[in-house]
Amino acid sequence: METVDLARLQFALTAGAHFLFVALTLGLATLVAVLQTRATLTRSPLHLRMTRFWGQLYIINYAMGIVTGLVMEFQFGMSWSGLTHFAGNVFGAALAIETLVAFFIESTFLGLWIFGWDRLNRWAHLALIWVVTLTAYASAFWILIANGFLQNPVGHRVVDGVLQLTDFGALTANPASLVAFGHILSGAMVVGGFFMAGVSAYHLRRRTHEQEFFRKSLRIGIALALPATLVTATFGGLGFDTMQPTKAAAWSGSADELAQVQADMVARFGPGDYLPPVELVRTAGIVMMLLFVIMFVVAAASFLLMLFRPAVRGLRIWHWLLTAMIPIPFVTMLAGWIFREVGRQPWVVYGLLTTQDAMSHVSPLEMRVSLIAFSAVFGLLIVINYWLLARHAKRGPDAVALGSRPVETPAPALTF
Amino acid sequence: MEIFILGFFALGYLILGGADIGVGMLLPYLGRTAAERRTVIAAFAPFFLGNEVWLVATAGVLAGLFPLLEGELLSGNYLAIVALLVGWIVRDMGLWLRGRMPGARWQACWDGAIVGGSWTLALAWGVIFTQILPVPIVAAGVVALLFAMHGLAFAGLRLTGELRERAVRLTGGSGEGRTYALTAVALTGLGVLAGAELDLAHSAADAGTLGLLVPVMLALIPFLVAAQAWVWWTFRARVTGPSYL
Repeated sequence: METVDLARLQFALTAGAHFLFVALTLGLATLVAVLQTRATLTRSPLHLRMTRFWGQLYIINYAMGIVTGLVMEFQFGMSWSGLTHFAGNVFGAALAIETLVAFFIESTFLGLWIFGWDRLNRWAHLALIWVVTLTAYASAFWILIANGFLQNPVGHRVVDGVLQLTDFGALTANPASLVAFGHILSGAMVVGGFFMAGVSAYHLRRRTHEQEFFRKSLRIGIALALPATLVTATFGGLGFDTMQPTKAAAWSGSADELAQVQADMVARFGPGDYLPPVELVRTAGIVMMLLFVIMFVVAAASFLLMLFRPAVRGLRIWHWLLTAMIPIPFVTMLAGWIFREVGRQPWVVYGLLTTQDAMSHVSPLEMRVSLIAFSAVFGLLIVINYWLLARHAKRGPDAVALGSRPVETPAPALTF
Repeated sequence: MEIFILGFFALGYLILGGADIGVGMLLPYLGRTAAERRTVIAAFAPFFLGNEVWLVATAGVLAGLFPLLEGELLSGNYLAIVALLVGWIVRDMGLWLRGRMPGARWQACWDGAIVGGSWTLALAWGVIFTQILPVPIVAAGVVALLFAMHGLAFAGLRLTGELRERAVRLTGGSGEGRTYALTAVALTGLGVLAGAELDLAHSAADAGTLGLLVPVMLALIPFLVAAQAWVWWTFRARVTGPSYL
């Protein structure tokens, strides 16, 4: 593989890993904030326990999201200095706002939320989780402003081969950004909703003693997942209207359309291959839509079933199905992301800068070293994250450490 | 003004993040038993999330205000940045994961990740500084030791009893507050010298972008500082036992 392919692979692995963590983080943060609001308003001990249990899972996942995110932020300068050179005035501005407006506050307040349990006034503590949740949305918003600019560059002019920002309003009102923001945020709610419902169904199926806890959680999860699938689909539909011509042609798969777009692009930009990998884009799009249909059917049926207490209590096949559904929204998210990002190739800034030209002068050896190092660490992170999430989810609310003052237990004496 | 903003976040990171990196480097010295190590980590646990965002913010400021320099710095020091990031991740994994499961071996393994990650991070900073400043590569080790010294002073300020004495013993009898001030000044000096070597004036973003971003960032800084001050105030008391991590 050429260095540019390695750099793309490296960025794809980083962004993909980050996206998996972020999707769950956004969904769970919202659910935890709602649970804590209920717990704070009603002083219900059950809701407080729910806040702590789901909050613990949220934090496990958040920590992993952070480390992949920071590698992504540094990769722009490391591997894609052609991009920062050419589009830094516009693209960099959105990244800068993201780190300061959103991420800085999110992380600072999350630390306070985690460690400030029982130290802060309960209203202040509640306010913290809402600030964390809203700044997480803001973070996603600014990242999608940056990404939307790559998909559909607006509000700029080219001066001496470098972009200048001319219209900040147009940059933030970019339909390619706003539609994606709505689509991805609601998609994250689907991830969070199915996750909560699936974990709850696991406990209901195993008939653990936390019946009331998980009946309520299951209902909350489904009650979020069903409307969220509909909102996601609506924004997804709008997204098709904003698609680039080459991606639209790849999606349709028609040879005539592809030839036409290719001819148009050659007329505009000179000779070259301007079509994205058609099969990959189409397959990703189809997988996304098929899985959406499955999720919608399961969410709608579950919504009806959960109105009947005996079903929530004892319909084991449904419980099993809900648990099996946990990975589906993640796969859908990744498929949608491939559809969106690969569909824009060979451009990094559509119509303005190709991926090839965006590459830094990094030696093939350097790129291999970093690719191996990051892939190893990310692979380990993903495995540990899902293993820990599963372990903590299985052990149930009794084992939660969040918010309780830890006691150092003496290590057991080894007997061998 | 854009140079001030970059300096503010970069120096903020060196002073705040430098302290918890230093404590991580000396974890085996400061904490002799598993329980002691957990208490030592509790000395900076509520702060480290808020500390590392200063570096993320620095990278964001570079991307927004100095896009040319960002590309040059990061791609020009490629392997040192890779080491920095890997060290950072491994260290954070250790911090988050050590308490997630019981078991001496699990915890010892992640304690190793914290120590190894912290050293990698400090040495990577050393290498980056030696590539910017006209000094020989051995200076990288000196930079790492400066981080360690800063960490000792911070541990002295945060811990009590025997753990505090252990931290203070290595830094001489001048008192941990004074040592912390000295190491903070040294780190600031290092940052300023490195900043002076970079061609900041000629690598800033276009005037239109600066005109938009600089006022926004200046207006944000008081809120960011206030948010962090709330954290420092909440956890200002010295640490006597384990925390969540």
